[in-house]
Formats: sequence, structure tokens, C-alpha cells
Amino acid sequence: MKKIGIFDSGVDTPEEIILAAGFVSCRLFGDPTIEPDKANEHIPPTHCVWTRNLLEQAIKGLDKDIVGIIATHGCDRTNREFDIWLKCINLDFMFFLNSPFKRNKIALKFFIDDMKELISQLEDSFSVKVSSEKIKVAIKLMNKIRSLLMEISEFRSKMVLKGAEFHALVKEVQQIDKNEAIKLLEAKLEELKTKKTTVNKKYKKILLTGSDLDDTEFIEYIENLGFQIVIDDLGIGTKYFWNKVDENKEPIEALAEYHLKKPIHSTKFPSYERYDVIKNLAESYKVDGIINVAHKFCEPVLYDHPYLSKKFKELDIPYLFIETEYNRESYKQLATRFEAFGEIIKRRD
Amino acid sequence: MSKEKKSGIMLNATNKLKNEMGRHFLAIEQAYRDGKPTAWATAGTPVELLYAMDVQAMMPENSATISAALKQSKKFIEIAEDQGYSYDLCSYFKTNVGAVSSKAEMSVGGTRKPTFMLSSDVICDTHVRWFQVQAERLNVPHFTLDIPHVVSNTSNRQREYFKKYIKEQLWELLDFITEVTGHEYNEEKAREVASNSYELGKIWQDVFELRKNVPSPISTRDTFGGLFPLFTMPGLKSPIKLYKRMYKEAKLRVDAGVGALENEEFRLMWEGIPFWYNLKFFSNLERWNAMIVYEPYVYAFSKYTNPNITKDDVLNHPVESMAELVLSFWYIYDLETRVKKFKETIKEWKIDGVLLHNNMSCRPNSCGQYDLKRILMEELDIPSLIITSDMNDPRKLNETQVVNQIESFIEILRQRKKK
Ligand code: SF4
Ligand code: SF4
Repeated sequence: MKKIGIFDSGVDTPEEIILAAGFVSCRLFGDPTIEPDKANEHIPPTHCVWTRNLLEQAIKGLDKDIVGIIATHGCDRTNREFDIWLKCINLDFMFFLNSPFKRNKIALKFFIDDMKELISQLEDSFSVKVSSEKIKVAIKLMNKIRSLLMEISEFRSKMVLKGAEFHALVKEVQQIDKNEAIKLLEAKLEELKTKKTTVNKKYKKILLTGSDLDDTEFIEYIENLGFQIVIDDLGIGTKYFWNKVDENKEPIEALAEYHLKKPIHSTKFPSYERYDVIKNLAESYKVDGIINVAHKFCEPVLYDHPYLSKKFKELDIPYLFIETEYNRESYKQLATRFEAFGEIIKRRD
Repeated sequence: MSKEKKSGIMLNATNKLKNEMGRHFLAIEQAYRDGKPTAWATAGTPVELLYAMDVQAMMPENSATISAALKQSKKFIEIAEDQGYSYDLCSYFKTNVGAVSSKAEMSVGGTRKPTFMLSSDVICDTHVRWFQVQAERLNVPHFTLDIPHVVSNTSNRQREYFKKYIKEQLWELLDFITEVTGHEYNEEKAREVASNSYELGKIWQDVFELRKNVPSPISTRDTFGGLFPLFTMPGLKSPIKLYKRMYKEAKLRVDAGVGALENEEFRLMWEGIPFWYNLKFFSNLERWNAMIVYEPYVYAFSKYTNPNITKDDVLNHPVESMAELVLSFWYIYDLETRVKKFKETIKEWKIDGVLLHNNMSCRPNSCGQYDLKRILMEELDIPSLIITSDMNDPRKLNETQVVNQIESFIEILRQRKKK
């Protein structure tokens, strides 16, 4: 089946529209094992390491089933680099979705207009009809996925499911056929229901936030240092399934509303509201600490960090801020910082 | 290669710039004394609407450049970094954070607590995040305009609903200002401000037109500083007089065949923000008989560059016309339009080479420069040099290295001229 690739610094792309157009929606993720040689010819060295990696893959050749790209506005990188994608990639369908920065009524109307434009361009380019009925079916499907993920997510705090394993699952769901995804999630849920606690109970319970971290090995690496990610504030995590789309509303409006009402991403305004989101999650899941990881040069996360740091200090929740390069070699250098953080938590016990 | 110093001449009118900027700062002081509302605004926001609503505008970016020119920016930047703001974040932002938290005077780049703040993401995310930080710290209301991003394949149909979204937000902004200040929107006043702003922008464009002449009558000595009234006082009457004087004086030079540089050999274009802490760097180009004759960044603030927006539009629809204008701002053109505008400018201003500032602070502007460089070479046979540095953070300028780069670049231009 043909796919539409998603270049998104958050999870603001209405996958339902892609599904209703008859495609598999496939979010693009980085590959930390490659060197961004080609992308370096287009992007200066002090720009986001993650989008650089995506561009590298795109130049070298994406999955051959990908017939188009939707780039969705998140941070500055998305719109500025989309123009470079247009120059480097030979695909007939390239759409930039201006997912609004603000989240009020005016923004909602605008987002609806932009989604309608997306639909009309999809229809024209691929000679398909994206009807309301089809979108409604896709909404139901995606809501089912959201419910399943929500249920599965809880096994992290029950210390049954490793955070890294859950991360891999959410990632896979964002790339594969959604009916297959449901089968996969249902099977996983059944398995988890019968599974006993497997995670070391001594592991420190962590809330993970930051840039949209997509290397599962990195999550695994953190957990192996004595942590369990029990909850997160990431697009490859809770932001993908926390709320549901209203199935009784006009579908495009319902989609726009869903995206504007879901827990706020660092790329949106006012991003300081993330503090409340994180604080509520941290309290409900009784975490021992919060880890905020920025991809190197990730402006949205860098701007918010001092505020979050101050607020969590006031709340007396241990907080660790880390910046990472996008390659696995560099993770190793972070071990001491994670271990020291573990010690800080231990001393409070 | 001749290394003896040939200093270019500055316009007499430019000397009056200090008075104009002084007027701006006096107006701010006066506003505080009179209890008149004040607002911080970021570049690219419709500052005219503030003046139309009788709100005194303050531009922290402009203040940051003052800190840099007075060699204070590094100190302020380091204060912000001590507070947790990364080495990699925009140095205007950090200069402002450092200046405000150390309660610096306006004369060295401090900015007083305003009644409210106005930002937008038209140019960069930084603007919004910056004011989010400061609005929270200073506890003032903050309004932000969400401007959809025009990319290389945005269609006209899309631009229409982009404009609708912006217009609605502009009206929302006016309501916000009324709520915060009690000032009502007055169409008559808005027209007067729009008319002044239009006139100011157009004279600035006329000044740039004169730079098409060989030799060019003015240099960056006049333009980098000359930009500030456009930036801080669009809509006011007083800077118009100054710009007219600049124009008149430059025109006399053109008529007399006199250039700002005695022996103009190489005509350059400068893309990006200059190093405010080292403006000498630009006049030093004169020792190679080279001169910058066009700066998109400086031209961008003349605002009325979109041929679809006429004077009548501006006067009859002062709010609505802003919606179209913010979508067509030189500094952040999409790559396709940027390339097209560069090509046109290079031809019209007879440019020999382009200097591209890969500004570590300003990712929106430096993104795309590598492609731009390649395309200009391939399609126009115009060489470019990428200079990596920062507009406000002197720690990020390696002067010796950059001077060496420029020297080699000029040599390339010289060889090409010989052919
Ligand atoms: S990592 Fe940060 S800078 Fe990079 S795309 Fe994501 S949000 Fe943008
Ligand atoms: S220098 Fe660039 S990033 Fe910084 S405020 Fe200006 S436009 Fe934004």
C-alpha cells in the first residue's frame, strides 16, 4: 500500500485525512546510525540535529512506497527546511500544513481551512475522494488506537512494561497500516494482562519530556542506568493518544479541535502551559524525578528549560536537563550525569 | 593588493540620526512620566498599530544592538547564560534578558517594563518565546500574532485564507489593546500613521534606488544605523524629514558622479544582520575598494515591497493591508522567492559578490543560505562567501579568520574582473 510520509516536529498531522485518502500514514523518524553528509551541504552546523538527520534520509531515498510528504508546522525548522526538501526530493505531492501556533477559536477556523486545503490537494493529486464518511471511519480507527495505547501505557507505571518497549510500540504504530497496528496493540495488551512485574522495583520512576526523542535505544540506555520511564510528555508517547477525537462532530472540525486541545507541545503557544501538563502527570504518577532531554540546537526546549527548572525546584521535584547529539556514540558521555541524578533521587528516599 | 585605508564618506544627514533616536528615547521617557501605555514589540509586528492606538512602542531588538555597539552585549549575554539560557540561543534575546535583569539603563540597552508585549512568529519562534519569558518575569500581558508560513509552493488560494486568519488576529489585537489600555481604535489616526509609515518606507526604497548608481552614493555607514527609525518609529512624522535629507544629499552625489567610496571597485551584497559590536568591520571593506551596496535585511524594513499593496490600500484599509504585508517580508522569504529576489537585485544593483552571514543566532535566516550560494553560482555565476558569526555575541566572531576569508574572496572577485 502506498504511503504518505509525515515530517512533523510534534504530532499535529491529522493522520485520519491521510487514511481517508487511502494511504498509510507514515511518520518519518531519524536514524542515529547514519552520518548527515548530504544534509550538511544544505543546513549549517548549528541547526537542529534531528531534522538534519531526516533530510539526510530523504536525500538518500525514502521508503519506495512513500508517494508524498506532509510537513507540519511545529518549530521554525519545519517551514524553513521544507523549502530545502522541495529542492532535494522528487515527489509529486509535497504539502506544508500550517498547524497553528495558537489554540483559540480563530486558530481553530484557520486550521480547518488548512486541512480542507490539504484534502483538496490530496484529491487533485491522487484523483481520490476524501469524504466526510471516510474521515469518520478513520477517526474511529485512530480513537481505537488511542484507547489501546492509553491502556497499554499504564503498564509502565505498574512496572510491567519497560518505557523503552512502550516507546518502540508507539513509534511502530505511527508508521504502519493502522489495522495492523490495532492487531499488534490488542495482542500486546493481552500479553501484558497476564504478565507479572518484570521491572526492577528499585528503579527510579521518571517522567520523560523534551524534544521528540525517537531513538528507542536512547530510552533503553537511560532505563538501563536504573530508571523506569513511567510516563512521558512526548509525541512518541502520551501526546499521541492522551485525548480522543469527538466522533459526533463534523469530522474536520473535530480533528482541528482535537489537535488544539490535546496536551500542549513545546512548539506551540503558550508553551509554558506545558508546566501544568508535566506537573499533573508527575503528581498523578508519583514520579521520583523529571528528565528533560533536548536534541542539540532544539530552540523550543532550550527556551522553556530555565522556566521549567525554576518551577520544578519550587515544587521540590528533582529535575535533570540534558542536551544530546543525534548519534549513539554521544549517549555514552551522558552516563555520569544520569547516574548522578539517580544518586540525588536516592538521597531523598 | 592595496591595503592603504581609503575611508568612505558618510552623509551629513546620517549624523542627525542620533537626534532622531534620541527623540525616540525621549518619547519613551515622556510616556512613563505621563503614564501613557507602552509596549514592547518584536521586529515584523505591525508597530504602526501601536502608534495608531497611542501606545509608545519599544523595540528590545533595537536596544540589544545598542548594547552591542557599546560593547556591553557580551556581559548581558553571559548573565542570561548563567540563568540557564543556552549558548546556542539568540543573542538578542540573551542581551535583553541580561540587560533587564541587571536593570541596565536605556542608554546601554536596558528596556523598561512595558504595559504589555506584542510578538509574532512571522520571522522566528524566538520572538514569541523571548516575550513569553519576559512577560512571565515582568508579569505583563502578552499578545502574540500567529502568522502562517509561506513556503516555496504556497498557492495564492492559500494566501487568501492566511490573510483572513491574520486580519482576524489584528482585530483581536486591537481589542486586546483597548482592554489593557482603555484606548479605542480610531480609523482617522490609523490612516495618518499608515500614511507616514508608507512615506517613510518609500523614501527608504528611493534611497536604495540611488545605490544602483556606480559609484554608489552611500554605504553601510549610512544604512545600518539609518535603519532604526524604520524599525522603531514607523508611522511617525519626524524620521521622514531625516530620510528626505538623506535622499537629497545622496542624489546630489549621484548627480555629481561622487561615490561614498573614492575608488569603488567591488560592489557587494550583505545578507543578514551585521555585527553590531564591530561595525568597523564593514567600513574596513573599503581598504579593498569594496563596498556593500545592498542589504536585504535593511531593505526589508521599508515594508511596502509587495506590489499588490498600493498606497490606497494602505490608507483605506490600514489594518487589513498589514495582513498582506506581514506575509511578504524580505528577511524571511521562502527559498524560491528569496532566490528570485537575489537574482533580480544582483542584476539591478550590479553586484559582484555576495556575503552571506551564517548568523548562529538567527537560524530562520541562515537556513537556505547554502542552497542560495550554490544557485547564485550555478545560475548567475555570482560568487558568494559564507561568514559564520553572530550579530550580537562578539565571542562568535573570529575576526582574523573572517578577514582572511574576505581577502581571498576579494582576490577571487579581482581575478574575475580581469577576465
Ligand atoms: S528537535 Fe526541536 S528544533 Fe528539532 S524539529 Fe524538533 S522541536 Fe524543532
Ligand atoms: S536574530 Fe533572528 S532569531 Fe534572533 S530575534 Fe532576530 S530574527 Fe529572531
